[in-house]
Amino acid sequence: MKKSCIAMLLAGGQGSRLYALTQNVAKPSVPFGGKYRIIDFPLSNCANSGIDTVGVLTQYRPLQLNSYIGNGQPWDLDSSDGGVFILPPYLGAGEKGSWFTGTANAIYQNIGFIENYDPENVLILSGDHIYKMDYAKMLKEHLEKDAACTIAVLQVSLEEATRFGIMNVGENGYVCEFEEKPKHPKSDLASMGIYIFNWKKLKQYLEADAADPNSSNDFGKNIIPAMLNAGEKLWPYRFDGYWRDVGTITSLWDANMDMLSTTLINLYDPSWPIGARSPVCPPHYAGEHAQIIHSIITEGCEIDGHVENSVLSPEVVVEEGAKVLYSVLMPGAVVKKDAVVEYAIVGENTVIEPRAHVGAAPDGTDGWGVATCGPNITIRQGAVVPAAAMIYTGEEV
Amino acid sequence: MRKYQGIIFAYREEPELRELTANRTAASLPFCGRYRLIDFPLSSLRNAGVLDVGVIMQRDYQSLLDHIGSGKAWDMSRRSGGLRMLPPFGLPQYHNGNYNGTMEALNAVGSYLRDSSAENVILMLGSVAANIDLAAAIQKYEESDADALAICMDHDPMGVHHRFNVGPDGYVNGLNLYRRGAGDGLPSLEAYIFRKDILLELMDYCRANNHYLFHRDAITLFLSRGGKMTVYVHEGYANSIRSVEEYYQVSRDMLKAENRRQMFPVGRPVRAKTHEDVSTYYGETARSVNSLVGDKCIIEGDVENCIIFSGVHVAPGAKLRDCIIMKGCDVGEGAELSCVIADKACKFSPASVLIGSPKLPTVVPKGTEI
Repeated sequence: MKKSCIAMLLAGGQGSRLYALTQNVAKPSVPFGGKYRIIDFPLSNCANSGIDTVGVLTQYRPLQLNSYIGNGQPWDLDSSDGGVFILPPYLGAGEKGSWFTGTANAIYQNIGFIENYDPENVLILSGDHIYKMDYAKMLKEHLEKDAACTIAVLQVSLEEATRFGIMNVGENGYVCEFEEKPKHPKSDLASMGIYIFNWKKLKQYLEADAADPNSSNDFGKNIIPAMLNAGEKLWPYRFDGYWRDVGTITSLWDANMDMLSTTLINLYDPSWPIGARSPVCPPHYAGEHAQIIHSIITEGCEIDGHVENSVLSPEVVVEEGAKVLYSVLMPGAVVKKDAVVEYAIVGENTVIEPRAHVGAAPDGTDGWGVATCGPNITIRQGAVVPAAAMIYTGEEV
Repeated sequence: MRKYQGIIFAYREEPELRELTANRTAASLPFCGRYRLIDFPLSSLRNAGVLDVGVIMQRDYQSLLDHIGSGKAWDMSRRSGGLRMLPPFGLPQYHNGNYNGTMEALNAVGSYLRDSSAENVILMLGSVAANIDLAAAIQKYEESDADALAICMDHDPMGVHHRFNVGPDGYVNGLNLYRRGAGDGLPSLEAYIFRKDILLELMDYCRANNHYLFHRDAITLFLSRGGKMTVYVHEGYANSIRSVEEYYQVSRDMLKAENRRQMFPVGRPVRAKTHEDVSTYYGETARSVNSLVGDKCIIEGDVENCIIFSGVHVAPGAKLRDCIIMKGCDVGEGAELSCVIADKACKFSPASVLIGSPKLPTVVPKGTEI
């Protein structure tokens, strides 16, 4: 079945800079913004953009991700001539085992999957960005510009540009140079890690790249520079909406706080629904002592304490006298009587016992940061978890 | 081969539910912030592993069809068996008018019952708020040598009901029809398990003799013939909903933690269609006390003792007391509502005031703009 464009979603990253939150799960399945997990955003974008075939490349701790994605039904991706497919690394007859050695290698190893659909173009996505984007518009521009590769770019400040892969653009508007994290950026167009390739071209470059033992098999480091060197047409697709990389604790916390503002990213927009696989729970209950201000609360929560500037996932409990301020509480987290959680991320099913205190307000020092408790931890009665602390599952506090 | 099949009676139009059932049956009444009443019997059946279920409908079933869909939410979208919607196309004489009673409704879907190889049938009402542990009831039924089992309540319900007298041997020895308040025996929850061949025989007898009521005719006949019926007592919340007053009362009962614990016990989840994937946002000026609030709401006003369904906007300065506000309603700035049941998608303009009384809540029909 011939397709105009299929998507390949790179979801194998360990997310090592999320530490305790990705100790046992892959980054794309980290809970986000109340009802979601990070991967809901690219999957929903695909469905809303009319892309009905998505290969999800997994590698690191994929169990939870696999069961979360399932048959793709929450995103309407359970179609009979497409759908969402989990693609783990695999072994062919007589081959030595090999993990995906890089982003390009992950696609290279799945050439067979892609060829099944005989697509004109392949959209490459990563599973760690929060944004709403119509890939159909990007594809249209890709075809209009007759590009071998179109790269989604975001305008950033020149200071920020040093943290990104930067596209330098020639007079004709096509990309003429790519610099990874330049010290002295010549342009403010940052790559968002979203590519549409002409599949025939990409296949050539993937095969050449695989044959090169010195390559690190990475799109940004190898494939894009190789295409530029060969004089291929690379087009920058300018995106000006909300986009956040949530690869670090601070950026994950920031992006969650952004969800409290509907002007940054509107999740209530019926024309661009973000789907999620969520448990069916009773509506949340606000008790006699509840105070809920400027916060997101989700089904199954039971709130009898004070919640302010916070994002609560399903089935979170905040008991009477407890305070939750500027925090992200993942599914099933429990904050018991008179405990305080501030400027913190609390993992799934972690229990904060009475009078414990997690996190602290910013004090202007460099050592300050968001406190993080991984999933399935019990923070004992009266315990203090300081700012910037990182508590792993299995630790006793 | 599956041993049990379920039948849910979802055809009833309860006149005392007034505007609330103008375009729907009692079984598809929105309940507890995100459910429909029929989610409870469907979930009870699903949680007991009964996946072959027929839903008997008659009129105004569009909303029921929309809600139930293929039955996927209850794992009843099966290659073989699964959920069957049974609209009134069984026999020519039922094309017009209402079913006169349960036996007539059963006879109209007789072929559905006969076609299934299940040996036992579980009969349930679509409009009872209860999370029944059917697996436990089935176990009791199988451990007895009874041909039928009646599920009863452990408390006296609000309205008219039937009661079973139970002998020392644990079998029913009498039926007291149309009782109110306390009395002899156990109040029926109107959920039954029957050996199918016996139920089919009762159906044939009722059709031949122009009888159509389940309790007055069929059960009385069954007992008078010496039929063995055992009883399973459902411990926990249970109330049928047949009037606006009952709907209001039962809804508000869900604000009590103990009732919620009984209605949503761990291990027997209430399954329903998922339609909202956005959480609820509380604004800077929000206040929400002793209330149940669904997802995708924007709460900026003051809400107390309320049940708010999904997708409701309560603007700043609005004050809601003892209200039930269904999906998609919009309450304007400074509006004041007290003891109001607002059906889906109502709009209350800024500063509007609507006050009902706790005994007689004001019902605002679907889509009304005030």
